[in-house]
Amino acid sequence: MSQLAQYIAEKRQQKPILSMTHVVYGYPTVKDSLDWMATLLEAGADFIEVQFPFSDPVADGPTIVAACHGALHDQQLSVEQCLKDIGQLGRDFPQARIALMSYLNPMYRYGLEKLVKRCAEENILGLILPDLPYEQAGDLRTYCDANGIDPVWLVTPVTPKDRLAFLASEARGFLYCVARSGVTGNSNHNGGPQQSLDEYLAEINEHSNAPIGVGFGIREKAHVDALKGKADVAIIGSALLDAYNKGGKEEGLKLFNSLFN
Amino acid sequence: MQSNNGYYGEFGGSYIPEILYSSQQQILHAFEEAKNDPAFIAELKDTWQNYSGRPTPLTFCKNLTDHFGGAQIYLKREDLNQSGAHKMNNVIGQALLVKRMGKKRVIAETGAGQHGVATALIAARLGLECTIYMGAKDVKRQYPNVFWMKQLGATVVPVAEGAQTLRDALDEALRDWSSSHEDSHYLIGTTCGCAPFPEMVAFFQSVIGEEVKEQSMAQFGQYPDRLYACVGGGSNACGLFLPFLEEKQVEMVGVEAGGKGLELGQHSIRLSNGLGQKGIAQGFATMFLQDENGQLQETHSIAAGLDYVGVSPIIAHLAQEGRIQMTYAMDDEVVAACALLLKKEGIIPALESSHALAGAFKDAPNLPKESRIVINLSGRGDKDIFNVAKAMNDATFPEFLEDYLADYNTDNQGEA
Repeated sequence: MSQLAQYIAEKRQQKPILSMTHVVYGYPTVKDSLDWMATLLEAGADFIEVQFPFSDPVADGPTIVAACHGALHDQQLSVEQCLKDIGQLGRDFPQARIALMSYLNPMYRYGLEKLVKRCAEENILGLILPDLPYEQAGDLRTYCDANGIDPVWLVTPVTPKDRLAFLASEARGFLYCVARSGVTGNSNHNGGPQQSLDEYLAEINEHSNAPIGVGFGIREKAHVDALKGKADVAIIGSALLDAYNKGGKEEGLKLFNSLFN
Repeated sequence: MQSNNGYYGEFGGSYIPEILYSSQQQILHAFEEAKNDPAFIAELKDTWQNYSGRPTPLTFCKNLTDHFGGAQIYLKREDLNQSGAHKMNNVIGQALLVKRMGKKRVIAETGAGQHGVATALIAARLGLECTIYMGAKDVKRQYPNVFWMKQLGATVVPVAEGAQTLRDALDEALRDWSSSHEDSHYLIGTTCGCAPFPEMVAFFQSVIGEEVKEQSMAQFGQYPDRLYACVGGGSNACGLFLPFLEEKQVEMVGVEAGGKGLELGQHSIRLSNGLGQKGIAQGFATMFLQDENGQLQETHSIAAGLDYVGVSPIIAHLAQEGRIQMTYAMDDEVVAACALLLKKEGIIPALESSHALAGAFKDAPNLPKESRIVINLSGRGDKDIFNVAKAMNDATFPEFLEDYLADYNTDNQGEA
């Protein structure tokens, strides 16, 4: 069984839903971002989703885009240093897990095989690359299988039924279910008609043996509560970053506690 | 050029967020059906002819030929298209496809504004809602095009993220498409992006090379010896080159923007001098200008239409194979080439197209007198009046602008 799935299953014995909090590495500085991650872990976050910034984050909305560009503005960020830093964080907080999220290009330049090996060494068990679809990920899947790392596939409310069933059946650590159309954060654009979240999650649960994480648009306690019994992990990104931007760690922590504690 | 499942050698592919999977598949199937449907092709040709003025001429340049004393120089006159550039060929094709798919809205990215204007024109004609993403810096630099887009009924969204240029506009267009895909089509302006966009745009642009084949046979009884095109995203180059791909004796030269120099940030040279590296971003694999950490970098060219950070996967592949020879022209060489065409042939070229001229003018004197070269004059230069006036140090132009502004303000106050 996947190490990540096992971790989630064990933790779920005690909690109705787990928390995955998203932090942009290097924003506003490397030290600040690592401090913020540590604060969240001390407060009881079950996962940190660490985003390694890319210049062209096409699946992200304004809040995260601005943070990525801010992080890249006047410093060079290296993938190797990021892996070391978040590996250390994982060792400091052994009760939690770290997942790495980025776009393909910085990871491709670093080397996908090396990346997966290093993730295994640093105990970073999940890898989220939103611009690498399953079909194009043959090499990455091979490396991941060999190293006990889980590539995390995304499904969306507009993923065709047969494809959704296939991706769900391929999920290992957890399946990332995008709750709505659009990019991360508060979208300005109107999504089209969507089946209700409950129906969508029920259909995923039918096909998935792996735990289910839900992200995109989670901002309030009611959103998190609505997922209990239907999903395993609630993923908060832009809302947390908005709070952090508004009032630093204190404001961010207030939001985290209101959602999960 | 037929792709291998979306790939051209090691370039191309489809690297898009999962949310776009269904829309991408829909375009893939719609395009496959449409290009094999005689009714679609007939409507396409009719619109090209009766709306955009095709076929465009192949013009022999006697004065330039005499001036250089080498190859006989011909221009393919894409500047004479409706909208003043080859961009029209593609927007007509994709907009007809949008109608076929039953979508009501188009989204496009634009750098200089040429593709934005072309998209706004066809959207107005076909009754489509139209949103154009444009870097905030480009909105400032290219306001006349923004003005026309608005008058044509398009919504122009200035993108204030990142470098505020074409690359950021493309990112933002993709983000819009991620939430609007059910009723909107992303009408990409060049042979880039995820499959099938490179193949589809190349298909619609190939009318350029197909016409050159017929026209060269009619005018001088054989195909040209060499072809020249500027390479930004690569659509006009694909359009001219691809129909000649199997004609092994026809040589092809792509000219990139050398800008102000070869340091990163000063140019847009992705395919020569080892300046670009393979990467995967904005939906596809190609040669990008990037740093060692894989972050895409800023670019420069005097021609806003050439300063893109990536390049068509088709051109990247053909350059790697050696089928296309790549070179570049610097900003000052480009302005000189533009000036020479004005004086010798009475044609006003776009600064983008002037890169192709500059590349060809370097070779022309050294080519045999009986050889014939065709340069793709991809667009006309009226839009560049401000930049060219500045580059040529025209003394009267600032005075004109000041007087115009004074009059403009006085007239408007009078009306108020």
